[in-house]
Amino acid sequence: MNMSRIIILARRVAQQLVADKRTLALIIVVPVILLTVAGVLIRVEPSGLSIAVVNQDAGMVLGTQSINLGDRLTANLQNFELFDTQLMAADEAKRKIEDGELDAVITLPPDFSAQVAQSRQLILNVQFEGSNPTVAEKLRNAFEQVGDQALAGLASLQVSDSGNPAAAIETDLNATYLNGGEEFDTLDYTASALIGVFVFLFVFILTSISFLRERLAGTLERLQATPIQPLEIIIGYMLGFLIFGLLQGVITLLYTVFVLNIHYHGNLLNVFVIESLLVVVSVNLGIFLSTFARNEFQVLQFIPLVVVTQVFLGGVLWPIEEMPGWLQPIAYMMPLTHANTALRAIMMTGESLGGVWVQVLALVAIGVAVIGLSARTAGRVRM
Amino acid sequence: MSNNPPEPVKIEGVYKKFGTVEALRGLSLSIRRGEIFGVLGPNGAGKSTLIRSIVGLIKPDQGRVMVLGEAMPNKPILSRLGYMTQASALYDDLTVWQNVAFFAGLMGCQEDAKIQAALELVELAHRADSPIRTLSGGMRQRVSLASVMAHQPEIILLDEPTVGVDPQLRAQFWAHFRRLTEQGITIIVSSHVMDEAERCDRLGFIRGGQLLAEGSADALRQQAGQANLEDAFLWFAQQKEVTQ
Repeated sequence: MNMSRIIILARRVAQQLVADKRTLALIIVVPVILLTVAGVLIRVEPSGLSIAVVNQDAGMVLGTQSINLGDRLTANLQNFELFDTQLMAADEAKRKIEDGELDAVITLPPDFSAQVAQSRQLILNVQFEGSNPTVAEKLRNAFEQVGDQALAGLASLQVSDSGNPAAAIETDLNATYLNGGEEFDTLDYTASALIGVFVFLFVFILTSISFLRERLAGTLERLQATPIQPLEIIIGYMLGFLIFGLLQGVITLLYTVFVLNIHYHGNLLNVFVIESLLVVVSVNLGIFLSTFARNEFQVLQFIPLVVVTQVFLGGVLWPIEEMPGWLQPIAYMMPLTHANTALRAIMMTGESLGGVWVQVLALVAIGVAVIGLSARTAGRVRM
Repeated sequence: MSNNPPEPVKIEGVYKKFGTVEALRGLSLSIRRGEIFGVLGPNGAGKSTLIRSIVGLIKPDQGRVMVLGEAMPNKPILSRLGYMTQASALYDDLTVWQNVAFFAGLMGCQEDAKIQAALELVELAHRADSPIRTLSGGMRQRVSLASVMAHQPEIILLDEPTVGVDPQLRAQFWAHFRRLTEQGITIIVSSHVMDEAERCDRLGFIRGGQLLAEGSADALRQQAGQANLEDAFLWFAQQKEVTQ
């Protein structure tokens, strides 16, 4: 192994990319455009929402005043324009939310008013349909507002039994979800995975095409008539593309965090470690598969095969746990699956590398395997 | 250096088969230091296979290829060789300088002065910063030549270097080759153009993967009793058929 030859090759790969200004711009511009489109589509204002209230509240008598918080809440909900509010029985509401006709059901028990007065907390029992996190997020905010509105003006409730002003009653949601969870919205979930997809996609395309050209132009034959070893060629390629892969990573990350405002709790260095592993896998897969192509068109055919299948099966769009059992082992063989899982954990919950060691190990193992494949083919001029 | 430096290239009974095609059939050849040796023969005679086995790109099935005293393939010895492929194999997006510096660097030469000297020899120093894609075909060939000689190899192998090159440039190329041999460099050049053969010190006639004859152009003509090299080649080819 000769470091100076590796660096000479890495420098050449970098020089070629710098010379090709259009490609260089696309590496940065395309992810930004795609992320923006994804952001707009995912965060579009929801409309046509409908909720149901199952109001069983019997009300209560406080001093001379008869209070029914349930009725007040329902009236307030009906004033909201964001959603359509219907009153219905519990079993009807259950059936409709399961059919997807309702986005949320609020259930007010018979002792609702009494409980609020006693516990000094307004707890709304809400079941969200939940398959679109954006909708659930909007409804949550609205419901908290409605709770506060219902309490407003009920001065008698704001006074404790001893006659002193009590702490204000707060509204809280006891939320359950038919599907999905509450913590993040879809863009958080998608964008973190997309950052991995972009690095993988661009490095794969660039490597496979530049290596194919190397073979077609005869420069690979000339490389083989120099003392450089196949492994040195591969490492040089990896170093050359790593610089641009990480550059793209930083820019897409900054864009998603500061422009698209996704939740980000991660450590940039951890993101880089995962991206570097992806670049290693991608460069070697590109070199290996370019051996099976005779021209640029044939290389392009590998993109659906290698990249799109990984986007479908790698948990970018659909959770792996929900896939049919026989598909799951295939998903776990794909590098993007592990990268996505790791990037999500790092970016969304601030997981350390130790917390994603399984994924790191899987990526290293896949990396070693593809280096083995590409090292065998990088030494061959003709197939 | 020992008193008897090994011959630059010594080929001993090399046999190579690709599938069912016998590219080289027991070929032996010895090349002397500081000469221009021409490998002559029609297309498909095995010229490229011979040159590629000297650079170690092809491992012979039988026999052996010795370069500077080492059996090929041998990676470290390659830094003392320069190999120019048939088509000019360069990186289109990179500049002239970047291309030459890249190949020289892989051979272990990172001195700007040597790269500059190589560019001056092929008269392209003024285009050092031009990307290859902006150059004409002839200029590319000259960059290609600069990129195989910048690291000052002891042996330069040129596979049909003047294919598609205009006569004026061809004359320039041969002038470059001659200048290089004056520095003690051995040049092996393949061609199927007989008039180029006149410029070589010695020639090897190759056909069907075998060596028909070997010697200077004059000696070969004399031996065949023919007035020109083309007829001499045909005469040797006929002799071979008769003896088989």
